[in-house]
Amino acid sequence: MRVLLKIFEKISPIFEEGGKLAAIKPLYEAIENFCFAPSAKARCAPFSRDPLDIKRYMTMVIIGLLPCVVASLYFFGLRVIPMIIVSYMTGGTVEVVFSIIRKEPIAEGFLVTGLIFPLILPPATPLWMVALGCAFGVFVGKEVFGGTGRNLFNPAIVGRCFLVLAYPAVMSSSWVKPGHGITGRLLEYVSSANIEAITSATPLVEAKHGLEDMSHMFMGLDISGCLGETSALMILCGGIFLLLTKVANWRTVVSILGSAVIFEAILHRVNPEQFAPGMWHLFAGGLMFGAFFMATDPVSSPSTNEGKWMYGILIGVIVILIRNFSGYVEGMMFAILLGNIAAPIIDEMVFSVRLRLLKNE
Amino acid sequence: MKFRGGYNIRFQGKPGGLLKDILLPEVLYLPLESGSFNFSALCATHGQDVGLGDVLAKDPDNHDIPLLSPTNGKVNLEAAPGHITLEDLSDDSSKSYTYHDELEHIHKKMGSAGLKRYKLLNLGAWEFVKEAYTGQIPNPLSTPQAVIVSTFRLEPFLIRGDVLLKEHLRQFTRGLEHLQSLLAYQPIYLAFPKIKSNFAAKIKEQIRGYAWVKLIEVPLKYPYDSFEIISRHIGLRHSTGSIWGVNVEGVLAIDMALTNSKPCLERAISVAGPGALMSVNLRLPTGYPLSKIKNEYGLQNSIAIDGGVLTGRLLTDDIKGVPTDCRGITFVPEQLGREFLGWLRPGFGRQSYSDCFLSSLCSHFPERLTNAVKGELRPCVSCGFCEDACPAGIMPHQLHKLIYQDDIDAVEKFRIDLCVECGLCSFVCPSKIELMQQFREMKQTILKEKEIAAAEAAKEAALESATEAE
Ligand code: SF4
Ligand code: SF4
Repeated sequence: MRVLLKIFEKISPIFEEGGKLAAIKPLYEAIENFCFAPSAKARCAPFSRDPLDIKRYMTMVIIGLLPCVVASLYFFGLRVIPMIIVSYMTGGTVEVVFSIIRKEPIAEGFLVTGLIFPLILPPATPLWMVALGCAFGVFVGKEVFGGTGRNLFNPAIVGRCFLVLAYPAVMSSSWVKPGHGITGRLLEYVSSANIEAITSATPLVEAKHGLEDMSHMFMGLDISGCLGETSALMILCGGIFLLLTKVANWRTVVSILGSAVIFEAILHRVNPEQFAPGMWHLFAGGLMFGAFFMATDPVSSPSTNEGKWMYGILIGVIVILIRNFSGYVEGMMFAILLGNIAAPIIDEMVFSVRLRLLKNE
Repeated sequence: MKFRGGYNIRFQGKPGGLLKDILLPEVLYLPLESGSFNFSALCATHGQDVGLGDVLAKDPDNHDIPLLSPTNGKVNLEAAPGHITLEDLSDDSSKSYTYHDELEHIHKKMGSAGLKRYKLLNLGAWEFVKEAYTGQIPNPLSTPQAVIVSTFRLEPFLIRGDVLLKEHLRQFTRGLEHLQSLLAYQPIYLAFPKIKSNFAAKIKEQIRGYAWVKLIEVPLKYPYDSFEIISRHIGLRHSTGSIWGVNVEGVLAIDMALTNSKPCLERAISVAGPGALMSVNLRLPTGYPLSKIKNEYGLQNSIAIDGGVLTGRLLTDDIKGVPTDCRGITFVPEQLGREFLGWLRPGFGRQSYSDCFLSSLCSHFPERLTNAVKGELRPCVSCGFCEDACPAGIMPHQLHKLIYQDDIDAVEKFRIDLCVECGLCSFVCPSKIELMQQFREMKQTILKEKEIAAAEAAKEAALESATEAE
C-alpha cells in the first residue's frame, strides 16, 4: 500500500492550481481520498474528531440495501447487475461533471442514489431508460439545487417520477414474475426476448381481483414489483440495520408505517368490501422500502425530530389516499415527493415553536 | 431546563487523582495574553526586583485583574516578546510583599466588605470568578443573584475537580463561608456529580450544616459542568442579574486570600492526553516554561493544547510559559500515516457518537486519539447528530446554514447566544464542518456590532442633549 501512496504523492502536484490537469482535481481527490484516509488535521478546537465521515455514513445505507439487492438477484435474475452498473455510471458521470464545473469536491451522495434508483424500477426496464432516469434524477433532483445537501427532493424519486410520466406504457409493462425454487432466476437474464416472464400485475394491481396471501408478500414469493421492494423480510433486515446505526431516523419510519397501517385499518373497518386490511398494505408495493430507505434521506426530510413525526404521518396518510382513491395503484413515490415539498414548511413550523420556547430562557 | 444532549468521550490518557508538586525552574515566562486576559498595563519595569505576590501587570479591560509574581525574581521585559520573564528566582517568602499599611487604609475607606473584595481582586482570587452566562469576569463590587460552585470538571483530559477537593476539604468549606459573607441573602448552589461514593457522602455531610448552600446533583456527562448549563437547569435567567460561577480552585483561592491574606500563586493543572508520556496533575507556578513540560511529558510529534481537547486553544511556540488561566495542558498526537480504505474498515477499535462502527457492540475502546479530522469537508446533510449532542438545546445545523447566508438577525433569533462552546457539534459532525469555530466567530461579530451600535446611540443621545441645552 505504501507504493500506492507514494504514487499518489508523486502525481498529486499535477492536479494542483497551475498543474496540467488542475481541471479534474475533484476527480483525483475523490480517488485519492477513497483509497487513503484524508490527511487533514484539526486546526481549531476541537482538536480531535469523531471517526465517522460522510463516506462511512453513506456506506451504511449501501450495506442496508444489500439484502434487497440479493433478494432482487434471486427473484429477477442477472439483469439486476447491469441495471445497477448503468445507474452508477450515469449518476456518477453527472456528479463528476458538475463537481468539475463547480470546482467542488465530489460528494458521496450519488453512491446511495445510484443503488436506490434501480431498486425502485420494474425489473425489465430497458437499460437506456435506467440511464436516462438516473441522469435526470441526479441532474434535476440534485445538481440544479446546488448539489448534495441542498437538494429539496430525493433524486432517485425524481428520476423514477420522470420515467413514469414520460414512458408510462413501458414502465407498466416491465413487471416480471419473480423466480422461485432454490435458484430462483439467479441464472437467468430476463429481457424482452423471453417475454413469457413479463407480466403486468403487481399485488396492488391484482388487488382488484383478490388479495395475495400475506405471508407470500412478507417473503416476497411469487410477488411482482420493483426490484428492491418485493421482499419485506429483506427490507426489514437492511432497514433495521440502518436504524441501529442511527443513520436512518426511526421516527420517520415508525410514523410512516404506523400512520399508513392505522389509517388503512380504519378504512377497512368502515368498508371491508372496498378496502384491504391495514397489514396487507404494509407489505404491498413500495411502502416499506420507501419508508426505510427513501423517506429517511436526511437531506430531503425535515431536520427536526418533531418535524420527522409530522413528515412521516403526512406521507403515510397520502400513500393510503393515493392507493385507495386515485387512478394510481402505487402511491409511495408521489407521497414522498409531496413530503419532500412539505419538509421545509414543516421545519419552519417546528422552528417557530421551538424559538418561542427558547425565548423564555 | 432538563439536561439534554451531551456526550462522554472515553479515551485513554486521563490524569489520575494525584497531584504532584513541581520544583521551581530557573526562569519563568509569564504570558501577557492568555485565553481570557490581556495584561496590557505593565506595572513592573525592566530589571526591577520583585517579590512574591507583587503586581507585574494589570488587565485594564477586566476590572484591573492583576498578574502576580509567583516568586521573587528579577523582571526582564526583553527576553521574550509578549511575556514578562522572571529570572534569579527564589521562593523565600520572607521577602514577600505585605499589604498591611495599605489594607488598613482600605479598611477605613471602604469598610470590611470593601476590604474583602479588594483583597480578592488584588490577591489573585478574583480571576477564578466567572459570569455564568458570558464567561466574563464580573464586577468585583457587584452582588450576584446567585453563586454556583462547581466541584467537578468533565472535559476530557482536564484535571478533575475532586483532586483538589480531596486534599483541601476543610479549606473548601471555609472558602464557601467566605463566599457567603460576600452575599446578602443570595443562595449558593453547589453543583455536585450524581455519584455514590464515600467521599461524596462525606462532602454532603459537611454541607448539610449550611442552610444557604443548595446541593444540585448533576449527571456525569460532558458538558453538564458548564456554569451556563447548570444555571439554565436551575432556572436562573441571565436577564435577572449576574450569576457567579466558581470552581474548587476558585473557592480555595478565596479562602487563601480572606483567611490568610495570601495571594494564590500556584495552579493545579493536568498534563495529560493521548500524546502525553504519562498523565499527571501538577501544581506549579504560572509562567512555568512550556518547553520543559513538552520535553518531559509530551511525546514526539504531538501538539500541545491549552485546555481540554474539545475547547482548548493551540499552544504555539510563541507562548513560552503556562498562561494564567490554564486549566490543563493536553497533548494530542499528530496523525502521521494515512489509513488504506479507512472508511471501509469494520472499526472495532473506534469510538463514535453514531453506531456506524462495530465498536458499538463492545464497550472497550483501545483507540488512541489523534488530531486527524478523519474525513473531508462536505455540505451539511442534516443528519441531526449535532442537534442531538448539543447540550444547549439549539440547532447547530440551522445556525450553520444561517451563518452561511450571512443572516445575522436570524442567527440571533435562533439563539446563538445560548451556545456554551462545548465543541461537541464539531466533534460529531460527519461532514466535518467547523461548527463551533463559526459560532465563536459569529458571537464575536455580533458583540462588536452591538458595541458599535451602543456607541452610536450614546453619541446621538449626547448630540441631542447638547442641542436641547442650546
Ligand atoms: S452534524 Fe454536521 S452534517 Fe449533521 S446536521 Fe449537523 S452540521 Fe449537518
Ligand atoms: S452549538 Fe454550542 S453548545 Fe451546542 S454543541 Fe455546538 S458548541 Fe456545544
